Amino acid sequence: MIKRRTLLQSLTGAATLGAMGASLPFNNLVRAAGKPVVALLPGVVDPFYFTMKRGADQAAEEEGIELLFQIPKAWNVTDQVPILKAIIAKKPDVLLISPVDKDQLIQPLKEAADAGIKVITVDTYIGEGKYQTGSGKADFPLSYVASDNTEGGRIAARALAKAIGEKGSVYCENNKPGISSTDQRMVGFEEEIAKFPNIKVLKTQYNEDDANKAAAHVAAVLAREPDLAGIFGVNTFSGMGASEGVKKAGKSGVVKIVVFDAVPGIDASLKSGLVDVAIAQKPSEMGYVGVKFASDLIKGKTIPTWQGTGFVVMDKSNIDQEDVHKYIYSN
Amino acid sequence: MTDISIDDQLGRIALLTRLWPWLFLLTLLTFFEIWAQIEVGRSFLFNAYNAQAILLAASAPLLLATGQTFVIITSGIDLSVGFVMGLAAVVVAQVTLLTGNTEIALLVGIAATLLVCAISGWISGTLVARLGVPAFIGTLGMYGVARGAGFLSAGSGMTVSIDNPGLVWLGTGWVPVIVTGLLLLIMHFVLSQTRFGQYTYAIGGNLQSAARAGIDVKRHLIKIYILSACFAGIGGIVYTARYAAGAANAGESMLLDSIAAVVIGGASLFGGTGNVIGTLIGALIIAVIQFGLIFIDVDAFWQFIAVGVVIILSVLIDQYKDKLVRAA
Amino acid sequence: MKPILEARNISIRFGGVEALKNVSLGVSPGEVLALAGDNGAGKSTLIKVISGVYHPHAGELFFDGAPLHLRDPQDARAKGIETIYQDLALADNLDVGSNIFLGREPMHRRFGVNVINRPQMRKVAREVLDRLDIVVPEKKLAGPVRTLSGGQRQAIAIGRAIYWDARVLIMDEPTAALGVPEQRKVMELIHGLKAQGVAVILISHNLHDIFGVADRILVLRRGELAGERLVKETDGDEIVRLMVGDTYAATKTATAT
Repeated sequence: MIKRRTLLQSLTGAATLGAMGASLPFNNLVRAAGKPVVALLPGVVDPFYFTMKRGADQAAEEEGIELLFQIPKAWNVTDQVPILKAIIAKKPDVLLISPVDKDQLIQPLKEAADAGIKVITVDTYIGEGKYQTGSGKADFPLSYVASDNTEGGRIAARALAKAIGEKGSVYCENNKPGISSTDQRMVGFEEEIAKFPNIKVLKTQYNEDDANKAAAHVAAVLAREPDLAGIFGVNTFSGMGASEGVKKAGKSGVVKIVVFDAVPGIDASLKSGLVDVAIAQKPSEMGYVGVKFASDLIKGKTIPTWQGTGFVVMDKSNIDQEDVHKYIYSN
Repeated sequence: MTDISIDDQLGRIALLTRLWPWLFLLTLLTFFEIWAQIEVGRSFLFNAYNAQAILLAASAPLLLATGQTFVIITSGIDLSVGFVMGLAAVVVAQVTLLTGNTEIALLVGIAATLLVCAISGWISGTLVARLGVPAFIGTLGMYGVARGAGFLSAGSGMTVSIDNPGLVWLGTGWVPVIVTGLLLLIMHFVLSQTRFGQYTYAIGGNLQSAARAGIDVKRHLIKIYILSACFAGIGGIVYTARYAAGAANAGESMLLDSIAAVVIGGASLFGGTGNVIGTLIGALIIAVIQFGLIFIDVDAFWQFIAVGVVIILSVLIDQYKDKLVRAA
Repeated sequence: MKPILEARNISIRFGGVEALKNVSLGVSPGEVLALAGDNGAGKSTLIKVISGVYHPHAGELFFDGAPLHLRDPQDARAKGIETIYQDLALADNLDVGSNIFLGREPMHRRFGVNVINRPQMRKVAREVLDRLDIVVPEKKLAGPVRTLSGGQRQAIAIGRAIYWDARVLIMDEPTAALGVPEQRKVMELIHGLKAQGVAVILISHNLHDIFGVADRILVLRRGELAGERLVKETDGDEIVRLMVGDTYAATKTATAT
């Protein structure tokens, strides 16, 4: 059995040699020799997750681990679960996954755990995101590696408060309710912004990840509150729509915009003043730490059940610095 | 004598059911105007900023809804428009970038986008008209294809950023509104004054009779799906112009708004009725509700409820309308 | 009189079934020819051949003495062969004028482009209805035809045919869906067409109608010509006998005696 598998893999390796370069067959041969395998299954095709993969690649090389990488075409359960099943069938030692839904992925991941695969969630979580508590309720993953989104919300609140001189009215332009990451950012933002007595927070608007709707919301909010001082764009498209809405209203630079995430092109937006502050996560750190943890698990070490990976606050003044610029996500 | 007055009364009610979208829009505007005058001491409507914002908000779903009006009149439906719009938003950015990102490149990009959309419309139309696939299923298939193609053409991300002066101009200020308005006028003219429009109604009213009258029904239907996809394409181009980036999910949430605009505007999903001006009113009603409810500071989720209620209302009125017209 | 439309030895098969076997007919201007026969006798198939919907496997058509080749219904219509189908073939959502002109809309130039000439359509709609002596209130004239009665709609279908100078008018069960007064109106219309020199081919189940308006009756049975009689030389019993066949008629006679 083992022999046949080795043979087959060498053959596939040889077949792909011409097209894919020399590293793949080499990896396959080494793997057959007993290199540990870690699978990385992020949420959706997105620069954020490709940046995560690069961090993971680096750690994998350092630790001598073979990294399997598969990525769903769209952010939903029906796209992610079939890929997960295929990965379970391959039996990697550790699975790093960004579950696209905190409830619906519990059962499929339980299957992986039951098959003896160690599960670590990165960026997003299942259940409450609190693992190994002994509650038996979706606490079987061994660690959660991500940005502390609540903390990210707090950082955004402080940045926005500073940008508007700690007074005036602000509001949050959000994707849609029910997504763990954006909901937590909102919680942190609201907690922190409440500490500024001269800042008034208006009702949150939900745009279903549509920049057009976000822009229309900004227009309507400005109609009611012509003195609007700032907007927190809770994710990429919210931020895109918010800056377009502000631009159309002729209020660029007057209404301050803080957006979450450092999508490609954010440097240009910061420099032109379309966006005042961007809160960048460190997806490459997530991938790096995730694979390091995986390696520790394989070696039999214990790992923390939660690891935050921090943020970088970007603005016009620091975006050209190399140690800030490198945190912009890229494909 | 009494008979005549009853007849007149019914006639008046029938007229009311036809004009209700206008009246409803007027009522909405009056309500928000009064509220604005009392609460904030400003005009809601006679305010260039508000007017531009509402028209701009209406223009995106309206581009999809204009083509959709033709489709729905033939008793079809085009579910693919949302993702065709996304595909177009990505394709216009990619092709313009690939051909050098000049003014000429932009024209190439726009032409290529419309071609891609025309092909997807042709596929939908062929499925529906020649292969007998129900419109709901055929265009749902195209929905999936356009969705996948959009994400694939965007490469590994969901968006493609582009900085092109011509494209920027297309997204500036009133330009998207004017482009939408002009296209709307042209399509209103086509639907109400040309054979193309007349045949669209005839097919929706009685497909067989249209065929017997010598209309090439299948060809006409294919043309209509191409039209619908091209309008979605223009929507995508305008999106990319406004955001300096094409996103594969650009039109996802616009699909339902566009169908709602057509239905509120008086079209029946059973076909045969509807017109472009009605669709304009429908889209304006949705935009005014969404803008107005934020303006009077109502919680976001009420917007969904309000638009939902208006859709239900318009369908009920549509069903009731026929009975009244028959009675009158 | 010389027939305006003639069909000679028409045969047509669908799969293995021979729907028409060697059937011939002719109709002259100002004549009403009734097609009678049981369900499935081939009446509808025959008129679809004449109106260009089906292509016969054998046999020929002649129009005004010249051979006639019909590729599609438009061809037939171009020759002046109009068909009024059982379901009227009106677009219910369009007004009277639009239905009369469906597929042949008059155009005029406005703002430098060709647009549909709606005033003319409305004018013709009024004229056509007047000519047929049909009263439709002005506001309904501009509304969708679904608000009109069955008789009025039948009149529109007939009016459309005569407006387009039908020389041969084929009518498939024109009274089937109508009430008695409206049936009478349609019969009057057919008399009027006859007086104007139109050749009419009428399909009907209703012997009363046939005897009321037709000059000649052609009876089909199982795709074959069962007999041809002048109305003034026959009666209902004979036609029924031709329709159902001798065997059945014989048994019936046998049981009766």
